[in-house]
Amino acid sequence: MNNTLIIGQYVPGNSVVHRLDPRTKITIIFFFVIIVFFANSFWSYAVLTLFGLLSMFASKVPIRFVMKGLMPIWFLIVFTFLLHLFINKDGILLLEWSFIKIYTGGVIQGIAISMRFFLLILITSLLTLTTTPIAITDAVEQILHPLKKIKFPVHELALMMSISLRFIPTLLQETDKISKAQASRGVDFRTGPVKERLKAVIPLLVPLFVSAFKRAEELAMAMEARGYQGGEGRTKLRELKISKLDIWIYILFICVIIGLFLTRNYG
Amino acid sequence: MKTKVLAINGVIAALYIAISTLIIPIAFGPIQFRIPEIFNHLIVFNKKYFFGIVVGVFITNLFSELGSLDLIFGLAHSILSLLIIILLSRVIKNKWILLFANTFVFTFNMFIIAYELNIAFKLPFLLTWLTTAAGEFIIMAIGMPLMYAMDKKINFKKLID
Repeated sequence: MNNTLIIGQYVPGNSVVHRLDPRTKITIIFFFVIIVFFANSFWSYAVLTLFGLLSMFASKVPIRFVMKGLMPIWFLIVFTFLLHLFINKDGILLLEWSFIKIYTGGVIQGIAISMRFFLLILITSLLTLTTTPIAITDAVEQILHPLKKIKFPVHELALMMSISLRFIPTLLQETDKISKAQASRGVDFRTGPVKERLKAVIPLLVPLFVSAFKRAEELAMAMEARGYQGGEGRTKLRELKISKLDIWIYILFICVIIGLFLTRNYG
Repeated sequence: MKTKVLAINGVIAALYIAISTLIIPIAFGPIQFRIPEIFNHLIVFNKKYFFGIVVGVFITNLFSELGSLDLIFGLAHSILSLLIIILLSRVIKNKWILLFANTFVFTFNMFIIAYELNIAFKLPFLLTWLTTAAGEFIIMAIGMPLMYAMDKKINFKKLID
């Protein structure tokens, strides 16, 4: 079961991408996702692909890990490609077979959208492949920090994220244990009409909820016993620091943006 | 925020993520069956569950293939729908009516996700709205009797108060 655990995506390493400040990675990825939509020509896609592939090689994450992220949505990419292939009626007619007509416009748009898909997945999966979830949480807390001015509970939100990351493996184990316990008492999760199977979910969910709430209460008590009083005046175990490397990466990324806008509408 | 509320919301988020990891291949894109969406019904029982659901959605989308795009639109969808239900729960006290309202609000608001997929992959808006809303509706509708039956057993309101 642990093979499918999303949190296990992180591949430890000491590459350039691993060493970047998580805030840098999140910021760059955020803007990358936006600028991908501005690419409209062969060369502009080429610039972005180059950046994507460079980041991937720089991260030294084995290609099969990146491909694994692609697997579940392979079908989606093909579906989107075919949709554009058949719907778009621009350009020259390439192929005609009974009611199916394929135009050059459809092929080009299909490829462009698939490229967009590929780039988005590549760059966002690099974040989760090279950054631990807890580092992402720290970065999110820092990025959202200005919102504190409008009384938004930034610290509490980050703490909830850490708590939930901590409890995911525990609860997965618990789910496994409870479903086995109930199966040994004769609950059947796999066969029978849909209604019966849905009913079988209740003896799974009820103990899962009860034990989750019990854990939460114990945690709250432990926190209070240790004097937890919220975010004010707390120091951090892990301090984030922007290094020279981060600045260079920002400069590189600005070059990519400039490159993208120079090559738009070309080729 | 009380420490207990904070801890419970963290664990609820973990439960949301844990359940969604088991079904990740069909949880994204135009055809979605996100089983943990039944957790959205928790808001009917107590508005203090708000952050747990939101954090669950946030972390799940952090690992989705569309990355920050899914984060923004997915969060907008959940937050908007949850706020509507919190407002409605001020005037409506009947749990069943609220459960139905919750299902319809979440289903209707899937237009946000359809719009996202429309601008990202130029998928036809109405068709995508229909497919995504259908998945959401099925899960939320199944969730209604499920969560109601569970509430009778463990009383969600009291657990977090």
